[in-house]
Amino acid sequence: MTLAIADRKAEAAAIFSGHGVPHRRVEEWKYSDLRSALGDAGIGAAQAELHVSQMAAGIESFDLSQPNPPTWVSAHFGQAHRNVMSAASLSLAQGGMAFRVSGAIAEPLKLEFAAAGHVCALLVLEAGASLTLVESVGIANFRNVGLEIVLGEGATLEHVRMSPQSGEAVLVENANVRIAAGAQYRAHFASFGSKLSRMELEIALEGDGAQAHLSGVALLDGNRHSDVTTHVIHRTGNTHSTQLFKHVAGGHSKAVYQGKVTVAKGADGSDSIQSAKALLLGDAAEADLKPELEIFADDVKCAHGAAVGDLDAESLFYLRARGISENDARGLLLQAFLEDAVAEISNTDQRELVRTELLTALKAIA
Amino acid sequence: MLEIKNLHVAVGDKEILKGLTLSLKPGQVHAIMGPNGSGKSTLSYVLAGRAGYDITSGSITYNGEDLTALAPEERAAKGVFLAMQYPVEIPGVTTMTFLKTALNSQRRARGESDLDAIGVLKLVRAKAKTLNVSEDMLKRALNVGFSGGEKKRLEILQMSVFEPKLTILDETDSGLDIDALRVVAEGVNILRDPSRAMLVITHYQRLLDYIVPDRIHVLAKGRIVAEGGKELALELEAKGYEHIVKDVA
Repeated sequence: MTLAIADRKAEAAAIFSGHGVPHRRVEEWKYSDLRSALGDAGIGAAQAELHVSQMAAGIESFDLSQPNPPTWVSAHFGQAHRNVMSAASLSLAQGGMAFRVSGAIAEPLKLEFAAAGHVCALLVLEAGASLTLVESVGIANFRNVGLEIVLGEGATLEHVRMSPQSGEAVLVENANVRIAAGAQYRAHFASFGSKLSRMELEIALEGDGAQAHLSGVALLDGNRHSDVTTHVIHRTGNTHSTQLFKHVAGGHSKAVYQGKVTVAKGADGSDSIQSAKALLLGDAAEADLKPELEIFADDVKCAHGAAVGDLDAESLFYLRARGISENDARGLLLQAFLEDAVAEISNTDQRELVRTELLTALKAIA
Repeated sequence: MLEIKNLHVAVGDKEILKGLTLSLKPGQVHAIMGPNGSGKSTLSYVLAGRAGYDITSGSITYNGEDLTALAPEERAAKGVFLAMQYPVEIPGVTTMTFLKTALNSQRRARGESDLDAIGVLKLVRAKAKTLNVSEDMLKRALNVGFSGGEKKRLEILQMSVFEPKLTILDETDSGLDIDALRVVAEGVNILRDPSRAMLVITHYQRLLDYIVPDRIHVLAKGRIVAEGGKELALELEAKGYEHIVKDVA
C-alpha cells in the first residue's frame, strides 16, 4: 500500500520536525555542522529553482508544482524521505521537475539547480533506457536539493555533478537512487568546496546484476568544505558496487568522505569495493575519511581502504631533477593523484570538462 | 666543468662524505667505484640537489658557478642530469607527458621557446627507437609496471632527449642483463663528445667494459682512496675492494 504524494509530504514534514536541522552532535553530520553554518536563518522555506539547459526530444517531463501527476510520477516521487534533509526538501519544496526516459538518449540531459531554498527532482529511466545526466550547481546562500532516481531493469545512467567553489554557499543535496536488476548507475562528483557542501547518496541495488559505480574528486583551499556521504545497500545477491574518491585539501579546508556499504541478509555473492584517499597540503587542512561495512550475508567480497597523506617527497624530487619547477611538479602530482577517479567518467566531454576545471583550480592551489 | 673540493656531507647526524675532491673536464668520462656504503649514492644526490643532505664544508663548482646554491630544477636546466638508481614510479602521469613537461620546462628556463607536442613526439620517438623503448612504454604511466631494465632504459632515453652537459649515472648497470647493458651503454656513448662530461658511478667493473672511462676513482668511507686509469677497474675486479680499503685509516 503506497501513500499518496500529499501523505508522503506530510510524513516527511513530521520526520524533519522530529529531528530539526542536523548539527555536529548527530553522528552522520559530525564533520558538517549544518546548524552552525546556517546560523539563525535556519533552513527557511524559500523555493529554489531547477532549470533545464538541455533536453533531447523523447524525454517526458512534468512540472511538480502542477496538480494531477501522471502515474510514473505518483508511483515514484517522494518515496525517499527518511533522511532528515530529504524529508525537508520533500515537505518544503512546492516545485521542481520530473523526467522520464524510455529509450536510449545520446544527448545528455543538463539540469541546473539555482537560487536559494528547497527543490525536488525525479528522474525515471524505464527498462532498457540509457542517459547521461549532467548536473550543475548554482551558487546560493543555502540550497537543499532532493533528487530521486529510479532505474528500471537493464537501464544505464551516468550522472556527473560539478560543484563550483564558493566561500559563502551552503549547498546540501540528497540523491536517492533505486537500481533494478541488470541496471547500472555510474556517478561522478567533482567538488571545489563551499562554506558547507554536502552531497549525500542513498543507493539501493535491488535486483540481480544491479551495479553502482561512484567516484569523485574534491579540490579545496581557503576555508572551504566538501562532504560526500554515501550509503550503498546491496539488497539482493550478485550485485556490484565500486567507490573511488580522491580529495586534496589545502589551506584551512576540510574534505569529508563517509561511505557505508550494507549487504543485506540473503544478498549472497555481492561484491563491493570502497577506496577513499586524501592529500593534505598543509598542517591546517583536514580530511575525514570514514569507510564502513555492514554485512548480514554470506560469501560476499567487500574491500575498503582509506589513506591520508602528503605529496611524495621522492616523486617531487624526481620531477624537479628533470627540470620541472616545484610548483609545476606539485601540480602534476596532484593531477596524477586525482586522475584515476576522473578516468571513471565514461562520457568523454564531461571527463575533459572535469579535467580542465581541475587543472585551472590546481594552478591556483599548488 | 665540475670541481668538487674537500666535500663533507652529512645525513642527519651521520657524516657520509668526508673530504671528497674531484675534478672533471669537458669531454671526460670518470668512473667512481666503491663498496656498498662508501657514499656513492650520496654524492649523486648531492650533485642533483636532493633535500636532506647537508653540506657541512667544501664546495661544488659547476662551470664556475656554485652548484649548491641552485634548486634541482635550475641544475637540470643548466645541463646537470642524474640517471637514478631507483627511478620513481608516478601513476597518473604518462611517460610522454612527463618528457614533454620536463623538456619544455628546461627550455623555458634557458630562455628557449617550447617545442610543440608534435615536435616533442618526433624527437622522443626517434631516440626511443635506438634504445628499444616501445611506443607502449611512452603511453603508460611513468615507470609504473616497468621492469628494472625498462626503467633504466627510460633514464637513458631522458638523457638523450635532454642532452645534458654533465651526466651522473648512478648504478645504471644494476639489474640489467648483458643485452640491456649494451643498449644502455650505446645510448650513453652516443652522447660522448668534447663538450660533455660524465660521472659513472658503479659497484662493478662490467659497465666500464662498455663505457670506457678516462679515469677511475675509488670511493671508500666517504673519501677517494685510489685513482687510476681504466686498468684499475680490472684490478678491483680481480682483487676486490678490501685490499685498497683496508689501507685507509
